[in-house]
Amino acid sequence: MNNIRNQLFSYYLQDPALYDEMYDSDGQIKRVYQKLSDIYGGHSIKDYVKLNDKAKSSFFNQGITFQVYDKEKTQEKIFPFDLFPRIIDPNDWDVIEKGAIQRSKALNLFLWDIYHDKNIIKQGIVPIELISSSENYLDQMNGVDPPGGIYNHISGTDIIKHNDGKYYVLEDNIRCPSGVSYVICNRTALKRALFGVFNHYKTCSVTNYAENLLDLLETVKPKGVDAPNVIVITPGMYNSAFYEHSYLAKTMGVELVEGRDLFVKNDFVYMKTIRGPEKVDVIYRRIDDAFIDPLEFNPDSTLGVPGLFAAYIKGNVTLANAPGTGVADDKAVYTYMPEIIKYYLNEEPILNNVHTYHCSRPDELKYVLEHVDELVIKPVDEAGGYGISIGNKLSKKEIEVVKKQLIENPRKYVAQPIMSLSVHPTYIEESESFEQRHVDLRTFTVLGKDREFVLKGGLTRVALEKGNLIVNSSQGGGSKDTWVLKK
Amino acid sequence: MLSRVANNLFWMGRYIERSEHVARYLNVNYFSSLDAPNAQSQDRQFVLRSMLLMVGNPAENTEVLKEEKVLYQIGLDSDFPSSIVNNVKQARENANSARDLISTELYEAINKFYHFVISYDKEAFVKNGLHDFTTNIAEMTAILRGKIRGTLLHDSVYAIIMMGVNLERGNQIIRIINAKYHDALNAQGSYGNKFKNSFEWTTLLKCAESYDMMRRFYKKTPTSVSTLEFLILNPSCPRSIMNSLNQVYKHIRTLDSSMTYNKKSTAFLVGRVRAEYEYTYIEEIEKDIPLFIDEIVNSLSEISQKMEKEFFNF
Repeated sequence: MNNIRNQLFSYYLQDPALYDEMYDSDGQIKRVYQKLSDIYGGHSIKDYVKLNDKAKSSFFNQGITFQVYDKEKTQEKIFPFDLFPRIIDPNDWDVIEKGAIQRSKALNLFLWDIYHDKNIIKQGIVPIELISSSENYLDQMNGVDPPGGIYNHISGTDIIKHNDGKYYVLEDNIRCPSGVSYVICNRTALKRALFGVFNHYKTCSVTNYAENLLDLLETVKPKGVDAPNVIVITPGMYNSAFYEHSYLAKTMGVELVEGRDLFVKNDFVYMKTIRGPEKVDVIYRRIDDAFIDPLEFNPDSTLGVPGLFAAYIKGNVTLANAPGTGVADDKAVYTYMPEIIKYYLNEEPILNNVHTYHCSRPDELKYVLEHVDELVIKPVDEAGGYGISIGNKLSKKEIEVVKKQLIENPRKYVAQPIMSLSVHPTYIEESESFEQRHVDLRTFTVLGKDREFVLKGGLTRVALEKGNLIVNSSQGGGSKDTWVLKK
Repeated sequence: MLSRVANNLFWMGRYIERSEHVARYLNVNYFSSLDAPNAQSQDRQFVLRSMLLMVGNPAENTEVLKEEKVLYQIGLDSDFPSSIVNNVKQARENANSARDLISTELYEAINKFYHFVISYDKEAFVKNGLHDFTTNIAEMTAILRGKIRGTLLHDSVYAIIMMGVNLERGNQIIRIINAKYHDALNAQGSYGNKFKNSFEWTTLLKCAESYDMMRRFYKKTPTSVSTLEFLILNPSCPRSIMNSLNQVYKHIRTLDSSMTYNKKSTAFLVGRVRAEYEYTYIEEIEKDIPLFIDEIVNSLSEISQKMEKEFFNF
């Protein structure tokens, strides 16, 4: 462990096994972080605590909060936010941006194919089980042409930096990825608390997301519509992401509606306004597939709009993202991403996929059996983290049990190397000091007709518990402002 | 604008305005009673009864009221629907649902207002926090009005909120007049015409933050006639019923710009009610104040119902 001296960072302990984004392996501050370290280092802990409180009250007053229920009463809490930003080098960003676009485009072509001719399956590139056994494959979408040919208008790509210093994609989220409003809130909070730091860095703006989103949503308008009426649909104000829904509607300057504000007549969608019905053309929906239309999907849904899906199939309204995209962000599809990218785009993947060993293939099974202690073994068909074995945490006896399961039922399992998320200095309130914490990055890519946009920045999520690798906000994760520097 | 959201914005305006009037009523009545010129007006029971009447929850005649209990109920009791804390909760809840339509500045101000009220220490409030709590509410609602006027687009969203604010203002002023009218009947002073010259008229004007301007206008001690004339009929008094009606009329014109003759429209009804009071003598009202109060309360609620039918029906 190296011990680094610099007022605020004086007790910063560096674990040599982890990839630290601010310090190199000799404990030297990386050049791009030098200025930031000087500025932050100039604060005493007391000053810093004050700034931190100021940032927290800024979130609180803006009502960017979630509810916690306990016996006595409900409490409002802010999402933990770290004032120390993460910097992404412009050259690294180029790779991330190109890679995110490549993946989103490949997934879009994949979706078109599996809902039309299914060539990729016919040619044996991916197995038929990817769609036949997927709960998220919607038969109703077969042969439907979404306006502009776009399925995954908005993609959230979860990326990590492994201890080899390379970026890997862990997950593609192409249903209703959330978090983009926090990117902007984090920037606002940091500006309010420490505006001076921005004088020393040329940081790309993140406030242009909404206008680009609106522009791109307008490119996928239904046929025959001149100036499309775009709206955002939300499950309602008690939904945990309601702040984001209202933020997006406000910044795009469009209406935020609930299912009960809409109705369908003659396969066209209308909203109920103070001046009577008004036709709607493009719906950015933040409601899951199952709930969008009780006539077609979950009949008990009160969040959706009866007849919406029929209007969609007729081509009278655009839904973003399209129904049925969930099939392509499955764990199983993920393992074929390199093949999918090559097949549709004839390109090598720009961002790494975590390599996946399919135990159904004899040579790969052989490798897995020999390296169980270095791998994560996952069942292909279980969700929510069930049945996962992490090799380096298993006893010898347990390893033998896993091996036996693999031999008995190889088709059921895949295996991946154990990934190590990079760490970043993060202020920890309990110890009043900076400590290493694992981080990931969610980027936001928007696909329109013949155009795309990637938000220059993204949501850096921090696992606040020491040693924890889970960054989800539901599991005590926080976030950081993320700076993509201009070249 | 969506009908549902319009309804919520209308009520947001109403709840903001309502919380302010209740807070001011508590403040003015409590503190002016401390050195009131007659025993009746000084009596704590009398003041607490007046407060309960104003929030629409009159006490039984025989009931002996406890100050801390009454103050808590009207101020911070979340189980009492008309309490200030519930008004503020409702205001914020309605703002939440229309968060995309209002400015960040307005939302943040409402949110701060909400957190101030719900986190106010209950013990401190009933013991010695009444003045601090109520003056803060008056100030925060003034900020809200400033943010509404100064940061929103003056379009239909603004018109809907302002209709809520002004209808509620008319309603609250009439409730305050009603409560103080009863106080004036009950607590008659010691010289001249006891009802006409009651100390309660001064309190009434202060409850409407109109005392100083009333003195400037009439240059005399308030009497029943001059007070009622000022608070009901004078269009230059910002808290008068007349001004509220004028404001409502102005904003309904933004929503209903057709200007066509339609006797079923809200605009027509507002215009009609407004015209009636515009050319009334105070002496006509003074003849039968309870009747006038009934009539104006009915007219205001008729306007509200008509609006609901015309704009919020979904």
